[in-house]
Amino acid sequence: MDKTFARRRRRDLITALGLAVIAALVPLFVSDVYVQNIMVLTLMYAALSQSWNILSGYCGQISLGHALYFGLGAYTTALLFTKFGVLPWFGMIAGGLISAGIAMALGYPCFRLRGHYFVIATIVIAETALLLFQNWDWAGAALGIDIPVRHDSWLTFQFTRSKLPYFYFALALAAVAWLVTFWLEDSKWSYWWRAVRDNPEAAESLGVVVFNSKMGAAAVSAFLTAVGGSFYAQFVSYIDPESVMGFQFSLLMALPAVVGGIGTLWGPVLGAVILIPLTELTRSYIGGSGRGVDLIVYGTLIVLISLARPQGLVGLFAPGRKGTAR
Amino acid sequence: MTAATIFQSLASGLLMGLLYGLIAVGLALIFGLMDVVNFAHGEFLMIAMYATFFLFAYLALDPLLAAPLVAAALLVFGAIVYLLIVRFAVRAKANAGMVQIFSTFGLAIVMRGLAQFFFTPDYRSVTHSWLGGKTVSIAGIFLPVPQLAGALVSIAAFAGLYFFINRTDFGRALEATREDAGAVALVGIDKNKVFALGWGLGAALVGLAGAVMAMFFYIYPDVGASFALIAYVTVALGGFGSVFGAFAGGILVGLVEASTALILPPSLKSVGIYAVYLLVVFIRPRGLFGSI
Amino acid sequence: MTPLLEIRGVSQRFGGLIANSDISIAVGRGEIVGLIGPNGAGKSTLFNLIAGVAPPTEGSIWFDGEDVTALPAAQRCRRGIARTFQVVKSFETMSVIDNVIVGALARTTIMREARRKAWDVLEFAGLAARAEVPAADLIPSEKRRLEVARALATGPKLLLLDEVLTGLTPIEAQSGVELVRKVRATGVTVLMVEHVMEIVMPLVDRAIVLDLGKVLVEGRPAEIVRHPKVISAYLGDRHAVGA
Repeated sequence: MDKTFARRRRRDLITALGLAVIAALVPLFVSDVYVQNIMVLTLMYAALSQSWNILSGYCGQISLGHALYFGLGAYTTALLFTKFGVLPWFGMIAGGLISAGIAMALGYPCFRLRGHYFVIATIVIAETALLLFQNWDWAGAALGIDIPVRHDSWLTFQFTRSKLPYFYFALALAAVAWLVTFWLEDSKWSYWWRAVRDNPEAAESLGVVVFNSKMGAAAVSAFLTAVGGSFYAQFVSYIDPESVMGFQFSLLMALPAVVGGIGTLWGPVLGAVILIPLTELTRSYIGGSGRGVDLIVYGTLIVLISLARPQGLVGLFAPGRKGTAR
Repeated sequence: MTAATIFQSLASGLLMGLLYGLIAVGLALIFGLMDVVNFAHGEFLMIAMYATFFLFAYLALDPLLAAPLVAAALLVFGAIVYLLIVRFAVRAKANAGMVQIFSTFGLAIVMRGLAQFFFTPDYRSVTHSWLGGKTVSIAGIFLPVPQLAGALVSIAAFAGLYFFINRTDFGRALEATREDAGAVALVGIDKNKVFALGWGLGAALVGLAGAVMAMFFYIYPDVGASFALIAYVTVALGGFGSVFGAFAGGILVGLVEASTALILPPSLKSVGIYAVYLLVVFIRPRGLFGSI
Repeated sequence: MTPLLEIRGVSQRFGGLIANSDISIAVGRGEIVGLIGPNGAGKSTLFNLIAGVAPPTEGSIWFDGEDVTALPAAQRCRRGIARTFQVVKSFETMSVIDNVIVGALARTTIMREARRKAWDVLEFAGLAARAEVPAADLIPSEKRRLEVARALATGPKLLLLDEVLTGLTPIEAQSGVELVRKVRATGVTVLMVEHVMEIVMPLVDRAIVLDLGKVLVEGRPAEIVRHPKVISAYLGDRHAVGA
């Protein structure tokens, strides 16, 4: 039994490596900046959704306020860079740690909440943070922060001549998020989280300290999400509360996992690859003036998937996996 | 800031709160009935407002007259949503919570997209209504008549709902199904019919609210989103599953919102509500009057 | 030899309702003890008190010489108290073996060891053939078995079984009885709440009868079954002989 399991794990790793290599080579054949942009966003959302998946998929604590951590990461990096000249690399770590800390602090009161109360609390907390940032003059209030792009280097993580470095960083981020999930899948954490998700009372009776496991998931998830936010700040060079802490972001982080397979290793990646190009393309070709067709398309997709195939699409591509974390 | 200003604000807050309660009670009803949160509730409000607008624009119907029609239309719509979508969502064996959340969320997104597509993102408003623009003075406090009418509609609706649930056969069937859906089947009550009508009723109530609100709010595709969050907070505050809780929660939310607007800059007025919600659920994880 | 489990003067009140009243019992190492009584006797409440679901209103619970009254369920599991649930609570999205691994992780955090232990327990419980099946797809008697296997994987000293034999076919029930005997043979003490007399009485060493929240009598099955107080508690006073 151990052998088939080890084989499965190896297969996952090799597939991931192969996909990463292919992805790394794609920019060599694609020079259209618009397409490159979509690819960067797809990878970023893959990373974000993978991080979201850790708390909401594996551990079952559905958060629709993850934009909070994304925004915190973005703002930490942007503020440290523009106000204090701290390099974004440190900003990223700082943003990650701050977010993880806040996630755990919020966990104390929030993890006592059941189901819908919890989801609404996450929405409310993110909205509150957004409103506070909109009124925080030092952080630019509603106008946000403009990150002047003066260099073109890895040191300051700004590139003017090409989007490719951003692409490779996003790829690395997605890879890291995937690897973290992969590693955690075969650890006590994944078992505790899924037990807590499926039946917290039974989990307690088996020695699982439910609260601690939720905290662990929250911290890891928040950290990675914040790093994604830091990346985004450097990528677009301008952030404001609405664009990095808005509810639509929270939703967009969750949807790839829901479509691809919530609580699975490959779900978020698959979902991102399907959803993000789809939304970008429908938005430009049909819904240019905000006519909502992209909303109709992916809204319908969400409804269909959650009703007809709640375990996500990932099972269709790999008949061996039943869509559970195996 | 004078006492008069404060009373004025609180009075407006109370009126608004009664409306929030009306929006929220449909949510509370549905949840109490079948343990499902309708994350498309804001969009139900939105289409009610649009329906009122179009009845006004094309048939010159005053919103007050349109209200019963809109409520009836929403009744049908709510039942359809149950039969086509929610019925399947509750059958999910695994990941049940997630399925319920995202299936109704997906619906919300679709509805918003459809609204944008068919009605464009332009802001609409009901420019002339019977009560529009009129104010009445009660004990020195000026109350806008549309909002006052809205509050009265809300109170009437709650009274009607109370009577309906406690005194009619269907209302009792609703309560019975809420208590034990399985047992109800044994007595010959079709669970699906009850649930569909429950959804219809919940939608009709928010339809009433939408018709009233069309008198004094702008109407646009995303209008539901802002009120939806207030509705969820109201229901969660009052306790999911409690009709009285929605009523009380609504009033509380309205008053808190008004008070916050007195102290903080207007853009932060929702922070007060959010803070109160968090405070209440942290202390009483089931809300103020909740049974779930 | 100190008893493995000691309940000292435990009472449990829910508002005005007294579910358990001044209960004192002891369970010795290696025993199979049955906790029986008519509906509403307070068996489930007591069971949950031992498992650590909620603290008692009064009294204390001692396990293996230690006062565990204040310990929550997860900690009691670490100390060696494992339980099953009357309404089966499997982890539906996880496979059978993954369910058991969760239990095994109470003893070791090294994955390889946990997997090995889980596999061993599955074989012991007769579920090895269903290891990779999602728990949601098991038939009810298999789910019961999984409950027991999962609890066993935590390496308990005391196993609390909540009506594991109720509602099974005679063949399934007999198979369940074999499993309980096998469990005791490995050195685990068993305390089981049960309803089905014909199955439980031949199995247990000792039976404790609860009625109306209090201990009515305790003793060997053969004595209990004929005890007039027990008969009248279950069937009403008319049936008691020589009361």
